[in-house]
Amino acid sequence: MIKVRNLHKYFGQLHVLRGVDLSVGSNEVVVLIGPSGSGKSTLLRCLNFLEEAQEGEIQLSGQVVDPKKDSLDKVRERVGMVFQHFNLFPHMTAMKNITMAPINVKRKSKDEAREEALTLLEQVGLGDKADSYPDQLSGGQKQRVAIARALAMNPEIMLFDEVTSALDPELVGDVLGVMKNLAESGMTMIVVSHEMGFAREVADRVVMMDEGKIIEDASPQEMFENPGEERTRRFLSEVL
Amino acid sequence: MTDMWQILGEYFVPFLEATGVTLKLTAVSLMMAVGIGLIVAFMKISKNRGLRAIAYVYITVIRGTPLIVQLMFLYFGITAIVVLSSFWAGSLALAVHAGAYVAEIFRGSIQSIDRGQMEASRSLGVSHWKSMRLVILPQAFRRAIPPLGNQFIIGLKDSSLVAYLGVAELYGTALSAQAENFMPFETYVVAGMYYLVLVLIFSLLVSRLEKRMDPMKGGVAND
Repeated sequence: MIKVRNLHKYFGQLHVLRGVDLSVGSNEVVVLIGPSGSGKSTLLRCLNFLEEAQEGEIQLSGQVVDPKKDSLDKVRERVGMVFQHFNLFPHMTAMKNITMAPINVKRKSKDEAREEALTLLEQVGLGDKADSYPDQLSGGQKQRVAIARALAMNPEIMLFDEVTSALDPELVGDVLGVMKNLAESGMTMIVVSHEMGFAREVADRVVMMDEGKIIEDASPQEMFENPGEERTRRFLSEVL
Repeated sequence: MTDMWQILGEYFVPFLEATGVTLKLTAVSLMMAVGIGLIVAFMKISKNRGLRAIAYVYITVIRGTPLIVQLMFLYFGITAIVVLSSFWAGSLALAVHAGAYVAEIFRGSIQSIDRGQMEASRSLGVSHWKSMRLVILPQAFRRAIPPLGNQFIIGLKDSSLVAYLGVAELYGTALSAQAENFMPFETYVVAGMYYLVLVLIFSLLVSRLEKRMDPMKGGVAND
């Protein structure tokens, strides 16, 4: 589905990604873990070209994406993303947040887009919030609208960038529940998260990053019960 | 005091007509200024160095020189090239002046929008300019209303200087009135009151608009 080869990303002098190789198959759920500053979020942002890597290549469904030639807008239609701080559009209702891209990019009719948005809102448990503005929603509700918004473009893969880190603890469960359902429905997902319980339960693979590199890539069971790397062991003992 | 009432009564109608000219001058020049401001704001945040440099020079020159000098310079400059009535030449000159300030207001409000907004929109496959139009600008405009209202009030008062180009707006009319009635103090006080009333009405409209643009208070969101 998505394949990353030898990805390098610099911010000025800072070498954030130091040769990342990663391959995620269809319907697979991969959880990225690692200390802060290890490059997890940067990797995710490179995958939908919010950041452009200086070296390496990214393949989507077998085709190498060339940021200079290919339309990145077209690529991004296929790669949905959910952010830590929701980034809902505050001047639009939940409904309009969701229908904006389908109407303006996919040229769907308003009625069709609305109908699909309602289905999505129900799917994330917010069927009654279509007309609410983001300011009228709790953090957990906002994040579920943001998930619905990304899903409205029918992406082939979904990226989740620490989507529960800004939430009050009691609201985390709802969002993780939606993600779990999504994973069970067969969505391909790459999830940057500190929720080890979610990783253990939902992930097919857990990938450990440190200092811009992938240092371990294993099943959740192996990763949490018998990690191969000393660094992984130390990290897990700090967060678990 | 009785003289004041006498002036007010005597010039009520001509001043009212002149107020119409002032309003038209202000409206026309500020509409153009918004257009100029928007274009220059985009030039100033553009990736193109040439465009940024042009915007920088324009804003620096306008902010660094007196309005009356700009008015004269532009008036004689414009009318040397094209035949234009003093009203339109004045409007254009006022617009060029206010445009620089409006550009800075727009630039500030566009840049004040969290960059996560643009990223979220781009991540959905929406192009840069469409994201600008649908996501960034509606929010930026809302933030620009208070400073823009302020700039419009300044623009309304600045329009008085166009009297020196021979436009019979409010101040220009007072200028000729006091020359024939020999009561400059009273005449200018009355003209000042006209400006004050206009500014008060305008401030009221701006604060109404501010409230109306707030979606949380039952206002209209962008559609």
